[in-house]
Amino acid sequence: MTASPSNIIRGDLQDQKVADYQSPLGVTRTETVTLPGLRTQSGFTFEHMDVDYQTLGTLSPARDNAVLICHALSGSAHVAGLDPQAGRPGWWDYHVGPGKAVDTDKFFVICANVLGGCSGTTGPASPQPETGKPYGMDFPPVTIRDMVVVQIKLLDHLGIRQLFAVVGGSMGGMQALALAVDYPERVRVCVPVATCVSHTAMQIAFNEIGRRAILSDPNWNGGNYSTDRRPTHGLAVARMVGHVTYLSAFAMTHKFGRERQTERDTNGDETASFSVESYLHHQGRSFVRRFDPNSYLYLTRAIDRFDLFESGPAVEVLRRVRARFLVISFASDWLYPTAQSRELVRLLKRASIPVTYLNLETEYGHDSFLIENPAFASVLRHYLENEYRHARN
Amino acid sequence: MHPGIYETVLRWIPEESRVLDLGTGDGTFLARLVQTRQVIAEGVEKNSTLVARCVERGLVVHHSDIADGLDQYGDRTFDFVLLLGTFQELLSPAETIRDAFRVGREVIIAYSNFAHARVRWQILFGGRTPLTRSLPQPWYRTSNLHFLSILDFQQFSRNLGVRETASAFFNARGTVRFLPNLRAEEAVNRLEADSIFRRSAITEQRETKNETYQI
Repeated sequence: MTASPSNIIRGDLQDQKVADYQSPLGVTRTETVTLPGLRTQSGFTFEHMDVDYQTLGTLSPARDNAVLICHALSGSAHVAGLDPQAGRPGWWDYHVGPGKAVDTDKFFVICANVLGGCSGTTGPASPQPETGKPYGMDFPPVTIRDMVVVQIKLLDHLGIRQLFAVVGGSMGGMQALALAVDYPERVRVCVPVATCVSHTAMQIAFNEIGRRAILSDPNWNGGNYSTDRRPTHGLAVARMVGHVTYLSAFAMTHKFGRERQTERDTNGDETASFSVESYLHHQGRSFVRRFDPNSYLYLTRAIDRFDLFESGPAVEVLRRVRARFLVISFASDWLYPTAQSRELVRLLKRASIPVTYLNLETEYGHDSFLIENPAFASVLRHYLENEYRHARN
Repeated sequence: MHPGIYETVLRWIPEESRVLDLGTGDGTFLARLVQTRQVIAEGVEKNSTLVARCVERGLVVHHSDIADGLDQYGDRTFDFVLLLGTFQELLSPAETIRDAFRVGREVIIAYSNFAHARVRWQILFGGRTPLTRSLPQPWYRTSNLHFLSILDFQQFSRNLGVRETASAFFNARGTVRFLPNLRAEEAVNRLEADSIFRRSAITEQRETKNETYQI
């Protein structure tokens, strides 16, 4: 089951224009709510926090059809539908919508920007309540589990006692796992995609390269930068490194090969000679416009520090889990290799949790869940449909 | 596989048993087992397209190669472990049986009989690798790695310290009761092993007995 080669040409919806793509949802919006605060794992107390979120579809009278989608590092609350400000569809529009993998005709979809993010939820770029100045590096360290606490507070606000499902890829998958473990009574089905229970040295290493790029940008200035002098070069390099780790050799060969594309700066000097270079420059530039460098530091740290089993042995931690699981990995994903998902599945099964596991042969690396991917979509759609029917009986 | 094999397995498995089906394919039989016997079922399948079919049927399925072991399952997680038609495709059948008895109480194995009269005839008088209803693929395309007879299987189980508690044999005309090793095309066996059945015991057995196979 391999996706057709056109997928990689079209790519994901986050940082490139997909010319002929139309969201069936039309224009959708996010909204921001101020919620009672929380105490982070690190011991910092937020009196209040803003959470930017989006809902799609209709909550059933029994309130049993809510699906929480957790976004990855660079995502936002705008999961699907055309974002009028950005002028592009939501980051998971391929898979969320009427009749899609997460069917908005059946499910009430919720997606919120994470704590520490920079798309409307409280993060390092938000003003501190006392001074009105951005937190910058005074923002407390946040964890995946802190993000999950915020998701739960949002569910409380929305009056959702129990989710039908929590779905997420990569960092979103970590949140899905933490939610199923920390709030077992609040979710029936958990779908972690291309993720792991904790980062390996290699995964941390790539994130550290990204962080170093930001920290060594002179504009970073200890995290106190103004909106007109941001460490954009550092962040762009971080995004370029990150983006390479999300792709595969196959995808890059297929998309760029050794194709030439000359780019020149204003002085006429050549800044790129291969199209892959120009593509990465574009990815960097586009990302810098929508992402806060300090947020990048905080979120990658949260990912690196995540350990699903930080509180004890897996068997004990997983004993309280009530959810049923669908775990999906991608054979070509070398950033979150299949072996990590297999290990997750082994631990879940050993804890007597019903798990379906599929390692898809999609050849586009870690990004495989963000692109148009019929095999992935079909499995996710059928799984959610069957489990929903099962849950209601 | 002969439909009689599936009917037999359905008869052998009590309602609400916990069942692991190794090489579950598109899940047709496992779904039927769930429907008619209300079993708690799980399949293992190595082909991703077939895994997807299982998901469509609402089955719990694990995408992996049986040859990589069953380490994801705890001891005695299942009442029954099924190997229906998959057995001959296993590189190390003894190891898989050992694994199966670790994760399950009983093991049910179905396979094609290589000593069936038509097979013997084709080899003896045709001088060619046999092509029959239960061995339908030519030698260059078959997924079978091993070719065995009913007598072979019986000896193999004895050597492993595994007991046959029931068996059934089939050919095109239905159930075979007399001379199964000559007349049956397919066989299904219900197996048990003593509770003392351990990794070391079987490994030991295999090591000593293997020599007789390696002539």
